[in-house]
Amino acid sequence: MTEEKKFANPYLMGIALGLVLLASFLIMGKGLGASGAANRMGVAAIDTVAPGHVTANAYLAANKAGGKSPLDNWYVFELLGVFLGGAVSAYAAGRLKRGIVRGPRASIRFRLVAAFAGGAIMGVGARLARGCTSGQALSGGALLSVGSWVFMLAVFAGGYAMAYFVRRQWL
Amino acid sequence: MTLPIHSLVAGGYEIGLVVAVGIGFAFGFVLERAGFGRATTLAAQFYGTNMTVFKVMFGAIATAMTGLMVASGLGLVDLRALSEMAASTTYLWPMLVGGLLLGAGFITSGYCPGTSMVSAASGNLDGLVTFGGVVVGTMIYGEVQPLVAGFHNSGDLGQLFLYDLIGVPPAALAAAVVAMAIGGFFLAEKLERVFTRRFKGEDLAEAPRRPRRWAFATLGTLTVVGLGTLLVPVGSTASASALESARIEQADFARRLLDEPWSMRIVDLRDRKACSEQRIPGSECVPLAELGKLNLQYAPANRDLVLLSDGALSAAPAPALQFKGRTYLLSDGWAGWRRYALEEPKAPSADAPEAARRAYRFQAALHQAMTGAAPPPPPPAAVKSFVPPKKHKGGGCG
Repeated sequence: MTEEKKFANPYLMGIALGLVLLASFLIMGKGLGASGAANRMGVAAIDTVAPGHVTANAYLAANKAGGKSPLDNWYVFELLGVFLGGAVSAYAAGRLKRGIVRGPRASIRFRLVAAFAGGAIMGVGARLARGCTSGQALSGGALLSVGSWVFMLAVFAGGYAMAYFVRRQWL
Repeated sequence: MTLPIHSLVAGGYEIGLVVAVGIGFAFGFVLERAGFGRATTLAAQFYGTNMTVFKVMFGAIATAMTGLMVASGLGLVDLRALSEMAASTTYLWPMLVGGLLLGAGFITSGYCPGTSMVSAASGNLDGLVTFGGVVVGTMIYGEVQPLVAGFHNSGDLGQLFLYDLIGVPPAALAAAVVAMAIGGFFLAEKLERVFTRRFKGEDLAEAPRRPRRWAFATLGTLTVVGLGTLLVPVGSTASASALESARIEQADFARRLLDEPWSMRIVDLRDRKACSEQRIPGSECVPLAELGKLNLQYAPANRDLVLLSDGALSAAPAPALQFKGRTYLLSDGWAGWRRYALEEPKAPSADAPEAARRAYRFQAALHQAMTGAAPPPPPPAAVKSFVPPKKHKGGGCG
């Protein structure tokens, strides 16, 4: 196995990420995002199994307005790019390998249950807030939107408040 | 305003999707390089042992924000139009509660939605499971949304930005945010040393100073340039043409209304009753007598002012003459718009020149869009049918 490269300097990566976001603003007039695409994947899955169910719920049906597939959307393609970019970067740094990232005292089962539960809580939170850390905190934050800054501070508050209760998983 | 690239935003949907993959690729690449494909790196933020999340996030916000200030100061982009296009409306209460939930889910799963995708891409099962959880969570919310729709839409403050709330120029607020971010970075490094000693019982190795200095210098330069643009008089290039108001034809106006609505500020001078009954989408109802209250001399000059009244305006009214940007008078005013867009267009004969047929197809599509009328009869000649430019709604996380 090749030697794993160290992670890059956080300040330089902050600038790099800021330039990517700036490019997205200037070229497309859009920020970055992730949870919107996750939502559309879910709607697409339900739509395949039970299209009537999606049509009956106006909130879900908005994702296939105009008869378009829920996946026919800019952010879905952007998230596809995120997957590709992450994979290529991990491969180039010798970090592309199967595994489960967990703290020294967490069992595999506990880790996976926590991952799923945490993901589901984030899914609910992101829909409620109309965006996640990428779309609200990062993109809206850079645009100085009031709602995005409220959201961002709440994310850190929620994380620090919950950290004590899940410390067994990480410390 | 040359940016964003209008043809991409308004019309080039397929090319836009290619750009989406490219931008996403860069996004995922940078996140992975920063170590965000590992839950342990991300979770450490909340135990204080490794504040990479804070540093990367605020570094990125500071960079993109000051970059936008510079671009807007140089006249490349209209900051407000872009912000309204890309940021979501502020709904205070759901955003607060949603943020708390997202933070709790973040430390429980070890990822946020975007980084869970990066983790999955680098081969981690926990990242994939987290992303699956996110999809399921959004669907759970989709099921209950009709029950909580009231809360979902509560605390609606409209498109609100911090610089409006405080009442300072955007570039000045950006400078303050950068100063706070840099202060926060030094504090974060101090905390990292304290908590590493407490939780891990070891001393943190000194971080290399050179990249940090380089990054701070970049942020500082962007901030200073952004502030410097405040000193440049607004609309200095446009003021030469300010006094002569041009007439804009209905066809050119309609096409601009569909392709780049953000490039115009449409002011309807008819009396308020007529205007509130029916008006051009996106226009403001300002009766002629009240035009002075808009303080057009201070209005940003980067959006063209389009004025219309019942019929043709012979000259721009006095308050509009103080506007520093370009002013247009809509040809034949509301009467002209009603004829052009709201009445069913007459189809040209089959032997009409191509230009006339194309104009008809556009007008028919506009008529349909404005009135919701049934699609017009097919164009007379068997040529490729006209597809009206697609419009996309902006939005944070989409």
